[in-house]
Amino acid sequence: MAECGIFDKKYSYIHDRKWGSEAADAHHIIVRKSHAKGFLVYLSPILLLASAFHLFLFKDNITITFWNSLLIAFLVKLLLQKPVEKVMPAFGVQLETHRGSKIVRRFVPIDKILKPVLSECVTPVTCYWSLSFIIRGEAELMLVFKEVCPPVKVLVPIWKALCAAIGSEGILGTPTADAP
Amino acid sequence: MGEPKRHRILMVSDFFYPNFGGVENHIYYLSQCLLKLGHKVVVMTHAYGNRSGVRYMTGGLKVYYVPWKPFLMQNTLPTFYGTLPIIRTILIREKISLVHGHQAFSTLCHEALMHSRTMGCRVVFTDHSLYGFGDVGSIHMNKVLQFTLADVSQAICVSHTSKENTVLRSGLPPEKVFVISNAVDTAMFKPALERPSDNEIVIVVISRLVYRKGADLLVEVIPEVCRLYPNVRFIVGGDGPKRVRLEQMREKHSLQDRVEMLGAVPHARVRSVLISGHIFLNSSLTEAFCIAILEAASCGLLTVSTRVGGVPEVLPDDMVVLAEPDPSDMVLAINKAISILPTIDPQVMHDRMKKLYNWHDVAKRTEIVYDRALKCSNQSLLERLSRYLSCGAWAGKLFCLVVVIDFLLFRLLQLWQPAEDIEVVPDILLSQGEDKRDADKLRVFNGDQCLK
Repeated sequence: MAECGIFDKKYSYIHDRKWGSEAADAHHIIVRKSHAKGFLVYLSPILLLASAFHLFLFKDNITITFWNSLLIAFLVKLLLQKPVEKVMPAFGVQLETHRGSKIVRRFVPIDKILKPVLSECVTPVTCYWSLSFIIRGEAELMLVFKEVCPPVKVLVPIWKALCAAIGSEGILGTPTADAP
Repeated sequence: MGEPKRHRILMVSDFFYPNFGGVENHIYYLSQCLLKLGHKVVVMTHAYGNRSGVRYMTGGLKVYYVPWKPFLMQNTLPTFYGTLPIIRTILIREKISLVHGHQAFSTLCHEALMHSRTMGCRVVFTDHSLYGFGDVGSIHMNKVLQFTLADVSQAICVSHTSKENTVLRSGLPPEKVFVISNAVDTAMFKPALERPSDNEIVIVVISRLVYRKGADLLVEVIPEVCRLYPNVRFIVGGDGPKRVRLEQMREKHSLQDRVEMLGAVPHARVRSVLISGHIFLNSSLTEAFCIAILEAASCGLLTVSTRVGGVPEVLPDDMVVLAEPDPSDMVLAINKAISILPTIDPQVMHDRMKKLYNWHDVAKRTEIVYDRALKCSNQSLLERLSRYLSCGAWAGKLFCLVVVIDFLLFRLLQLWQPAEDIEVVPDILLSQGEDKRDADKLRVFNGDQCLK
C-alpha cells in the first residue's frame, strides 16, 4: 500500500508501506525535473560547443576546444536531477540516493541515533529546513538529505516516523538556548 | 476598545549578543519585554565566529546569525544589494510586519531598512549615538543616515540631545522622531547588602579605555585626586588602547597601591565591581545617553560625570555631580561628591531608579511608535523616489538610482524565487509557569496542524 502526495512543484513524497510498517517503512522523495532547467541543461552545452568550434575554426586552438568539452561534460552531469529515496527498517535507517541507475546507500543503526531533529539552516542568501540525526558520541549532526532541500511539509511526516521508530518524543529543532 | 494588535517585529543590527554594550543590551531587553507584551520578535545580526545560524534565547527570542563576516569594528561588509535575498527570505518566512533597525554605524541595519522599504514593510530606526558634523567620517556617515531616514516611517532617539543631533544630521522632520530613553535591569544591579567601609573612599571607573570615553582625562584627574585625598582609592575596569597611558601614569606617580587596574570586566561581573565602590566616575567626551551611570546609580553609587551629550538628562540632580570635560573641573566635582557622600543611601537610590527606569515602560512606549508606523500609508516607488531626490543635488540622484536598482533586483528575485516557494515558519509558543524540563519543550502550531 502506498500513499502519494504531490506537495511541491519540485518535490514529490511517497510513503511506501508495501512491506508492512513493522518490517520496513519507506519514505520516498522524488525531485522532479524542471522543464526550464532541462532546457538550460541542453542549450548551454550546445552554445558552449558552438563557441568552442568557432574559436577552433578561426583561431585554430585545440586546447580551448578540449577545455570547453570538459566544461560541457561537467555542466551536464551537475545539472541532471537526482531522485532521492529513504528506507527505514526497524533495526536502523537506510538512506538511499538514486541518481539514474546509480544508488548510494548509507545505513545508520537505530541505537546510534539519539534523536532526529528538524532544524533551520541559514546561508548568506537563504534559509531552509533540514532533517538531521543527533548521533551518539559524535559532535556533528548527520544530514539526512545532503544534496537537496525538501520543504518542511515533506520533512515533517518523515521526522514523525523517525521519532516513532526511535521511540523519542518529537521536539522541533532542539534549539540552543542562549542566555546573556 | 479592540484587542491590542500583535506586531511581528524584526530587529536588525550588527551589534548583538555575544557582544556586550549599550546597543546590544537595548535590543535584548526591549525584545524580551515586547515578547512579554505578546508580540513576535525576531533578531537578525551577523555571525560571531562559530555562532552562525538560528539560535533561540531566553523567552523564545529567535536570532538569525547570518553568515556574513564582519569586516570593520563588528560591521558587515557593505554590499548594497548582497543582503537582499536573505532579508527577503526572513521577512517572508517570519511574516514580518515591521523592521526595527538599530544604530547608525551598522551597515546591516541600513541595508535591511532599504530592502524592507523596497518590499513595502514599515521601518523604524533607533539612533544610539551622537555624531559630529565636521570630519570626513561624520560627513559620510551623515549622508548614509540621510539616505536611510529619507524613507523611514518613524525614528527613535535615546535622549532629547540625541534627537536634536539626529534631526540636524539627517534632515528628518522632528515630529517623526520620538524620544524613548534606555533603561536598566534593576533586578540585576542591586546595592550591596553591606555598604563598603567609609574609612577609605573607593571611586570606580568602568568603561572602554578609548579616546571618546575620556581616558585621557582620567590620566590627569586620578593623580590630582590621589594627591588631595590620601584616603581615596581608584578601581579601573575596562580595556582599550588607552590602558597603556593609565598604567604609565600609575607607574610615574607610584600609585600602584591606590589605583587597581582590573582589565576587561565581563558584563556578569560589572555589578560586583560597582558595589565595591562609593562613587562612579564617568569621563566620556560624548554620550547620547550613558547606560553605565544608570547601572551605577541602581547599585547605589553617587555618580560624577562629564556634562556632555545626553548625560544631564539621565539622572536627577541629587544623584549626579556634573563637570565640564576638563581635569580641574572634574577634580572639583569629585571634591563635591566626597562631601555629599554621607547623605547618600544606596537602597533609597536603587528604589528611585526602579521607579524611574524600567524596560517594560520602554517597550510600551516603543509599541506606540510601532502603532504609529503601521498607520503610515504605503507609498509607491515614485513617491519614495521624490523623498530621496530632496537629499541633495547629486546625492539625491544617486540615492534614487540605488533604490531603483534595488527595486529591479527585488522584482527579479520575485521571478526567480516566488514568495509562495518560501515556507512560512510556524509560530513557536513557550510553555509558561511549568517546571524547567517541561518549559524547554516547544509546542509548535502551524495553523490547524499540530506538529507535536
